[in-house]
Amino acid sequence: MSPRIRRWSLLLAAVCLLPAVLRVAWAMPAFGDHPLPYGDAINALAPIQRHVTNMVSAVNFDYRGLDTLGEESMLLAAVTGASILLRGNRGEGLSARAGEIPDRPISPRSEVLAPLVRLIGPVTTIFGLYVGAHAMTTPGGGFQGGVIIASGLLLIFLGQDYRVWRRIVKSEMMDACEGAGAALYGLAGFASMSMGATFLTNILPLGQLTDVFSGGLMLVENAGVALAVAGGFTVLLIEFLEETRAENGEGAP
Amino acid sequence: MSVLLPMLFLLTAATGTAVALTREPRRQVMAMAANGLVLALLFMALQAPDVAFSQLTVGTAASPLLFLASLASIRMDRRPQGSKEE
Repeated sequence: MSPRIRRWSLLLAAVCLLPAVLRVAWAMPAFGDHPLPYGDAINALAPIQRHVTNMVSAVNFDYRGLDTLGEESMLLAAVTGASILLRGNRGEGLSARAGEIPDRPISPRSEVLAPLVRLIGPVTTIFGLYVGAHAMTTPGGGFQGGVIIASGLLLIFLGQDYRVWRRIVKSEMMDACEGAGAALYGLAGFASMSMGATFLTNILPLGQLTDVFSGGLMLVENAGVALAVAGGFTVLLIEFLEETRAENGEGAP
Repeated sequence: MSVLLPMLFLLTAATGTAVALTREPRRQVMAMAANGLVLALLFMALQAPDVAFSQLTVGTAASPLLFLASLASIRMDRRPQGSKEE
């Protein structure tokens, strides 16, 4: 398609779509308007019914807990699929040498990076644990905490060395974390069934409002999500970064 | 607050346009990360800290890294050592 035809077809499409766009734009609710009652209902009910102050967690892990189980399985399936695809070609070993890209030199690691990462890395990981642990009281939760933990662990690679990272962050252990987290979430649902309630009913004592250990069964589910996400993202990072290493190479990192 | 939100909206539009206009893939990844960062700030200003957290961790840290790793892997020299002459 020549640029001339392309420009004319763009103009034609714009002219045709403009009335529809304008109509939708004018029919939009005012900025900050929320006509649906659900948000207000959750805000009013969750502290009384579930003893938690983070409504997003209350919705994710309790009122719509089954949806989160679905998302959990999706993550598990995605990570498993990516690992199978990438490992199928390459095997599970790790390569010591960085892969080479034509006309891009591998620059040595800056001296300031190692001490900086030794400061930032542990703080990041602890912050991830904090965010994950305080899911019931403050913003954040297992998913966000898990991703922060995974990136905190990745900082070992940035500051030290690829081999050190792979030696500390074992791929097998992270696979196990991913699976165990997803299993924990599912088992929490079956635990309520074994007590005679429906799947994922909150059967544990709810605890006190604003306490870290409030929310009952939500705590177990949150721990499962944190484990699964930290493990899953680390597995993904390992598999993707292993792709950038030289095949069966030895030598300088 | 009345200044903050319009500024963040403008920044969102600007960084989003930058993502669309950048042609080189590695730069585009960086532009996408910048767009993600602005979006995280916007969510924060709109009092949605949970979404801001997710956006920050996934949109600004994890997915750009995976993109960069993929791009590096695509461009890598996979010929075995010693067969580089051409």
